[in-house]
Amino acid sequence: MYEAVYIFKTEIAEEQINEKLERYHALITGENGGEVTATDHWGRRQLAYPIRKQSAGYYVVSQFEAPAVALPEFERLLKLDEDLLRYMVVLNWGEPTAAMSIQTRADRKTDDDDEDDDGMPMIRADREED
Amino acid sequence: MARPAKACPLCEGGIRVLNYKDERTISRLMTEQGKILPRRMTGMCARHQRQTTTAIKRARYLALVPYVKGYAD
Repeated sequence: MYEAVYIFKTEIAEEQINEKLERYHALITGENGGEVTATDHWGRRQLAYPIRKQSAGYYVVSQFEAPAVALPEFERLLKLDEDLLRYMVVLNWGEPTAAMSIQTRADRKTDDDDEDDDGMPMIRADREED
Repeated sequence: MARPAKACPLCEGGIRVLNYKDERTISRLMTEQGKILPRRMTGMCARHQRQTTTAIKRARYLALVPYVKGYAD
């Protein structure tokens, strides 16, 4: 399971972005037999620092399943795209997190009440000061 | 002097795996200028501190949080 974040220039239209995404994802799904499980448009967002003289970018996050052999070609295409300010492809480890935007993360539910207090004796204390 | 154990803020908050997109939590684990807070400040457990470093570094790359804040641009 991989996760990719794309940051596009804000000048380009939304349809163009969708078109590009389709082109990227075609490399994953096509004959490589991968599958895009989620795509989330965060939309326009202020960048924390300017990238290529741009102060804002259009963020898109997508998650997909793909064989490793499909990735070099996929990343090559991303690298060549001039309208893509930045991209990042990472392994999505841990629990499969939903492609949530920052706004929706605010109301994340906290549901693991167990965890970490499974009868492990606290082994700290009295080994300092000598 | 024995210091009382400080609870890990992430375990407390019920966050299993810290995600780089969780800007809100990440920014709490950084200094004003955007440095990563050390464990002795936050009382974080080792596991979560490791997650935090990767998460912050990823978030920086994606311009979600600054590398250096207040740097004139």
